Order: sequence, then structure tokens, then C-alpha cells
Amino acid sequence: MNTKTSVLIIEDEKNICDFIATALLNQDYRVFKSYSGTDGISQITSRCPDILLLDLGLPDMDGMDIIREVRQWSSMPIIVISARTQEEEKVLALDAGADDYITKPFGTSELLARIRTAVRHLSGANGQGNQTHTFEAHGLVIDFDRRRIFVHDQEVHLTQVEYKIVSMLAKNSGKVITYDTLISHVWGPYADDNNRILRVNMANIRRKLEQNPAQPEYIFTEIGIGYRMIDAD
Amino acid sequence: MTTPRFSSRKFRCLQTDTVSHDILVSIALLAFGTVLCVLTRKATQNLLNTSFIYLMIVVAIARFTTGYLYGILASVISIMSINCFFTYPYMRINFTLDGYPIAFLSMLVISSITSATTTNLKAQTRIRIKQEKQLAIAEKEKMRANLLRAISHDLRTPLTGIIGAANLYLENDSQLDDQAKKNLICNIQEDADWLLNMVENLLSVTRINTSSAKVTKSLEPVEEVLSEAVQRLKKRLPDAQINVRIPDEFLMIPMDAVLIEQVIINLLENAVVHAKSTQPIDCYITYDDTSVSFHIRDYGTGIPEEKLPVIFDGTGTAPTDNSDSSRGMGIGLSICQTIITAHDGTITARNIPSPESEAGQRRLTPFHRCSTAAEKTADPQGAEFCFTLPREEQDIIQTEENK
Repeated sequence: MNTKTSVLIIEDEKNICDFIATALLNQDYRVFKSYSGTDGISQITSRCPDILLLDLGLPDMDGMDIIREVRQWSSMPIIVISARTQEEEKVLALDAGADDYITKPFGTSELLARIRTAVRHLSGANGQGNQTHTFEAHGLVIDFDRRRIFVHDQEVHLTQVEYKIVSMLAKNSGKVITYDTLISHVWGPYADDNNRILRVNMANIRRKLEQNPAQPEYIFTEIGIGYRMIDAD
Repeated sequence: MTTPRFSSRKFRCLQTDTVSHDILVSIALLAFGTVLCVLTRKATQNLLNTSFIYLMIVVAIARFTTGYLYGILASVISIMSINCFFTYPYMRINFTLDGYPIAFLSMLVISSITSATTTNLKAQTRIRIKQEKQLAIAEKEKMRANLLRAISHDLRTPLTGIIGAANLYLENDSQLDDQAKKNLICNIQEDADWLLNMVENLLSVTRINTSSAKVTKSLEPVEEVLSEAVQRLKKRLPDAQINVRIPDEFLMIPMDAVLIEQVIINLLENAVVHAKSTQPIDCYITYDDTSVSFHIRDYGTGIPEEKLPVIFDGTGTAPTDNSDSSRGMGIGLSICQTIITAHDGTITARNIPSPESEAGQRRLTPFHRCSTAAEKTADPQGAEFCFTLPREEQDIIQTEENK
């Protein structure tokens, strides 16, 4: 009973909250519901859920404040649910410490995939084995120890920078990584925040990895936000 | 002097800068006139010239200033200066000259009449401008009302479907078999998807600055925008077959990527839904030094000739068949045009003639000019939508690369 992953949903729309709860209960998660920000925070501290699903537009407080508050003492995965299609707000939420986002409206399969990704990264971070040395998805194999990449058993040669980008995305597969995070990871914190250089590198990576760079299989673009590597098999 | 209603309104719209402007104009013209008089006086010794020059100046002042005050002041000053500078005894005011009151009066009358005419003219212009503005506002309101009506109609159709299906399901739960229930739920999902697409389209318009009709642009890679648009469409319409090709060269152009994505999705969806073709849609990029063009080409039934000129109008969609128009892409396509125009780009739609008629056309062209008729009668080989966006100047990109 206690081994079930617990999820706290903070969402003021009762209909949406119920539909998420039903979907998660069917998948054997433990679910807590909260309809306001203040109640949500008290439930976070009292119940210590494994994963937090957070709506940004709450009636009593800004969801961003909840992210910042939680991040002061916990690294629990936060998945932001947002009706706002404005990409700056998503970037802000991600930079404030949210792990991932999902835009309303979404299907249950999409939501469950995001939660599975979060759970997987959670167990990886807690060091419960699972420390991967390779990444495999749809014929793409990355050997982190030997820094080699294969696509359908064909070795692909990437430059240093390209490899850094790909390995960063692969280690966080299934999660969106913002441009800024990628740039500071690859070029250091003082890099120019002009992301053109990243875009050019990504174009080159796609031409090396993807069968048809126009219909990518492995690395997806989230326009205005960042890139997302396909989830590992 | 004037009707009080008029002068009070005028007083309200008098601003300090108009006053100082009027004073400056008056002083400058009077000084100019006086200098001119002195010069002619030196040359000819004729008092008539002096009077006419001052008269001209008074008329000019009355014409180029607001209200009566400046014209009347100018006529008084003119009479005084003629009296003082140009008639004997010089440098002294002498009111006993012959005909002096007549000259004075006629100057006053002339300046008053000119001022009155000018004021009238200005008032009329103002009224006309105001009327034109009101007309434009009324026109805008009418357009907005039309758009709202079209949108409400388009929104109500799927909503009716959703509410109806949900009601049916809840009230006749026991009588429906599983297949029928599944159908109802599928219909609800379809309608809701359509609604969502509609709302996203409408929302996208709010990203365009209403006052300047411009968008905030940033440099975005063409291939990423195109591939994400195709991916998003495939999520919604998994059966859609689309061939995407991107150029080998890495292209970045200034745009609002979310909006351009919306345009591509709309055009692709339009092709999927309306072309009724089993062949995959071609989606590719062409470019030159100044612009990048996105082509979405289908191999379906083509666009009816009569719809081609109004296809981006939104309002002019298919008055013929009502059943289809509720699902029409009318608003979607008009939003495409709005977005592309805000990007300083162009968007076009055309039918592509079948290869046979194209070949025939080429054979005929040197001798006959009737090829257009042949083109119209031949079955089109699908349609192509193409939109073109300007590229940023090459040198800016290069300096960025050098950094």
C-alpha cells in the first residue's frame, strides 16, 4: 500500500481536478486533491507527496510562488499544469524550478507519460540503482561511459558541443530543457544568451541523428521554450 | 463677435502652441510686409503700393491664423504703420488725413470677412474629419459584429453536438448499446477538438498588437517551426499523411513562431480536410536572398474557382452549402492572412493545373491566347497555399555569427 506513488493535485477547477484524479487512481497512484494555493501548501508539508501537479492560475495565490516555496526545501518533481499558452510563463516556471509542464487541454495519456517520466527521474535521483550508463530509444543508443552514439547500429560522430547537448537531453529524456539551461550547461554560465548558436548546433545534430530532420524522431522542439528528448525505451 | 457657442468650443480646443504659432505668424508677416513696403517706397514713392502690400499681409494673416483676433489686430497695426511710417508727417500718428476712416474701415471689413471665411472653412474641415472618423468606427464595429456573429455560429454548432450527445447518453443510458455509446463519445471528442482548435486560432490573434497590427519577432529556425507544426497536427489528426522537406541550408528568419506555427497548422488542416485526396500532402520550403516561402501543396480536388478570390476573407465562405460551412476553414484562413500580413509577408492560394493541360498550355501559348480557358476546364491537380516571409538583412546575421 505504501509503495504507491503519491500525487498531489493543486487545481482550482473541480472538474479538471476530478478527471486527473480518476485517471491517476486508475493507474494505481495515491491521489490527494487541493483546490487552493494555501491549502495546497499545507498539504505539501503535511503529506509530502512524491509528485506535485500544480496549476499556475490559482484564485488565492500565484502558482509561481508555490514553486519557489517548495524549492526552498524539497526537490520533489513539480509538473506545472497551465492554461496559459504564453511561452514566457512556462519558461519562468521551469526556471523557477518546475520539472516539466503540460498545457491545458491535455489527454490522459500525455499526462500519464509526464508523470512516469517524473517518477523515473525521481528514482534515478534518489540513487536507487537505475543509474544508467546507456540511453536507448527507438534505435538511438548513447553510451555515456565511452561517449559514443549509435543510430540503428551505425555510429554517429558528433562534435564535443553536439555531444554535450545530446547527452544533457538524454539524461533528462522526456523532460523539456529550456534554451537557457542548455546554453549554460554547454557554454558555461557567462555565455551569450543569444540562442542562435544553440539552434545551429541543434540543426547539425538533427542532420546527423534523424532520418528526416523535418520529422524528428528523437529530439523535439518546444517552440520558444527548449528541446525535449524522446523518453527512453 | 462670433456666436458664443462656437467661440467657446473653439476656445476649448485652442492650445498654447496654436496661440504662439498664430502670434509668430502674425509678427513675421507684418515685419515682412513692412520691410517690403520700405523697399518699394524707396523705389517708387507710390503710396498705393504700400496700401496694397499691407492689405495682402492682412488677408494672409487672417487666412493663416485661428479666429478673428489676429486679422483685426493686423489691420489696425497696418493702418497705424501706414499712417506712421509712410504718410506725412512721418513717425507721427495723424488722424486728420483725407479718407483715413474709409481706409481704416475697409481694412477692418476685409480682415473680418477673410477671418470669417477661414474660420468657417476650418470648422467645416473639422466636421468632415470627425464624420469620416465616425464612419470608420462604424465600419469597424460592423466588421467586429460580423466576425462575432460568424464565430458564435461556428462555436454553437459543435457545442450543440456536444450537449446533445451528452444528454442522449445520460438520459438513454439503458437503451443504448455499447457501439452507440462509443459513437456518441467519439462525436463529443471530435467536436471538442474542433472547438479547441478554433479557440486557439482566436487566441493567436490576440498576440498581434491591435494598435500597430505588428507582432514581436525573434529569429527562429524555419525547420524547427515547420517540424513542430507538422508534429502538432499529427497529434490531432494521426491519419494525416504529410511529406515534409527542409532545405539543407540552416535558415533563421524573424517571426512570432507560435503564430507561424498556427498558420502552417491551419493550412495543413485545410488541405487534409478539404482536398479529399489519398496522396500525401507536400510541405516544403523555397528561399532566396530576401525571402523564405512555405509551400503546402495537396493533390486533391482543388479550390472552386469562385472561392479563390475570397478564400482568405473569412466572411465570404461557401454560402452555397450550409452543412459544410459550419466546418469550414473560413475563419482559420482569414486568421492566416491576418498573421502573415502582420509579419509583412504575403499569402496566396492557387489551383495547380494537371500536367496534361499544363503541357497543352505550353504548346498553345505562342500562337493562341486562349490557354486560360483550357486551364479552367481542365481538372486541377490539387491546390497550393504558399506564404512568404521576408528574411532579415544578411549582414545582421553575419555580425551575429562573428561574435
